[in-house]
Amino acid sequence: MTALLATEHLTIRFGGVVAVDDVTFSVATGELRCLIGPNGAGKSTLFKCLTGQIKPSVGRVLWRGRDITGLDSFKIARLGIGIKTQVPSLFDGLTVLESVRLALRRQARERDARAQAMATLERLGIVELAPRIVALLAHGQRQLVELAMVVAPEPELIILDEPTAGMSAEETSRAARVIRSLNDKHAIIVVEHDMQFIRAIAKTVTVLHQGRVLVEDDVMRVLADRRVQDVYLGKVDASLQVTT
Amino acid sequence: MSGMKLSTDIAAASIVTIAAILALPNFLELFALINATVYVSMSVLALSLALVWGFGGILCFGQAAFFGLGGYSYAVAALNFGDTTYAVPVAIVVPALVAAALGYVMFYGRISDVYMGAITLTLTLILFNFVNSTAGDQWRIGAAPLGGFNGIPSTPPLNLPGDPGNPLPPQSIFTISVVSLLLCYIIAKLILRTRFGRVIVAIRENEHRAELLGYDARAYKLGIFVIGGAMAGLSGMLFANCVFVSPTMFSLFYSGQIIIWVMVGGLGTLAGPVVGAILLNLLTTWAGTLPDISPSLILGVILLLAVLILPRGVLPSLAVLFGHERGVT
Repeated sequence: MTALLATEHLTIRFGGVVAVDDVTFSVATGELRCLIGPNGAGKSTLFKCLTGQIKPSVGRVLWRGRDITGLDSFKIARLGIGIKTQVPSLFDGLTVLESVRLALRRQARERDARAQAMATLERLGIVELAPRIVALLAHGQRQLVELAMVVAPEPELIILDEPTAGMSAEETSRAARVIRSLNDKHAIIVVEHDMQFIRAIAKTVTVLHQGRVLVEDDVMRVLADRRVQDVYLGKVDASLQVTT
Repeated sequence: MSGMKLSTDIAAASIVTIAAILALPNFLELFALINATVYVSMSVLALSLALVWGFGGILCFGQAAFFGLGGYSYAVAALNFGDTTYAVPVAIVVPALVAAALGYVMFYGRISDVYMGAITLTLTLILFNFVNSTAGDQWRIGAAPLGGFNGIPSTPPLNLPGDPGNPLPPQSIFTISVVSLLLCYIIAKLILRTRFGRVIVAIRENEHRAELLGYDARAYKLGIFVIGGAMAGLSGMLFANCVFVSPTMFSLFYSGQIIIWVMVGGLGTLAGPVVGAILLNLLTTWAGTLPDISPSLILGVILLLAVLILPRGVLPSLAVLFGHERGVT
């Protein structure tokens, strides 16, 4: 079966620095994949490359087997890929409802857009925010509004860059629930470094280290992996030990 | 913006227009009426930047370039055709085409905002210097001499369509200008109601997010830039009908003033810049009669005060004062 999204020998260099080094991985339809690694592992660079913000030096990005390397962000979005950035990227001057309608406007008729937008807000449990101006919302709410914009057009794949950045413990656990429920309908790639969060949501995990794929395996086996513990913490941390 | 608000705004603008057409030609002397027509043409110019900057988020220092191109295209076409009927569309199409070419290079070249300001300003200055240096008989387009610093004093006034022997009196040109302003306002309002308009505002708010939602921001920005260029061209044509075309239309003085009108009137609104243009033009004219004080100085002080005291502009501040929190457009 052809993978939904795949990379082949993806390499991204900035001058002499190799940020992403020969990364080959693939995500299947309906999968939930976590892409983890310590700071500087190349996660954000890979995210930017997958979402069309930077072009790779070598290698290809494939969508359903079709080469989409170097496509502009808006063309990648049109393929059916929803993209959520680390710092919420929102329309601050608009209302929540208008923001989500904009996410739908490209494909839905004007009349349907409003109903669909409200349904999406309902689904994420933030329907009461509909008339609010985005700029006035709290950080956690902003994350959810961005998620609503990403989810509304029903993309086949959602790519989330550090979705829990700046969230409280409670908000993080809520985000974990939301992401798991989104996985019922969408394939998801989560780029993260919060191990607790990864443990709460992940099935398969790809670990990046110094731009390369270190391990790719089931979450429990990855967390128990000595090499992963070493690159993450430089030493073994008891909280990451898997109890069986 | 609800449909009701839209129709209320348009109704209000129409009433002001009709009142102006009925009243002013009866009250004002000819000279004052021609001056009023100039202000109205300036308002169309302000409206064009209100769209491009206030809603498109593109700070264009070159709106005067399209204004001047509109005026010159009109004058040159009218002199060559011997009739103004087809000179009017030429005055709109030429600046729109130039805006399309310039906009294509800027937006598709992904030039950043600061450089965009510099490029648009440079275009204006190049045109200013070029047109200034077109004195002499070798500089003519068909039957129209460009006239260098003196411009084209023989710029013909509008005639009845297809009837070049029948030039319109200043009263009619005033009416045409006011109606043009109203039409531009209505068109701008309607544009902002469409999907295109909503996306334009979204791009102003966050271009990156708009692209991540699948919108090609370059195309939308180019679209609003061309519409703004066409509108500025129309205002140049109206201006040419009151005075005549000369290189000052491309001057730094106008490029800067348009921005002041929009800022003082209210960035992000349509009616604000129109009001700003009229108020500041009245003020500049009045200041010109004062001894020993430069009008530019007064304009500068007003800009400073406006930015400090009414940072959102005159009209939005008034709206807040009277309890319309969401402001006016």
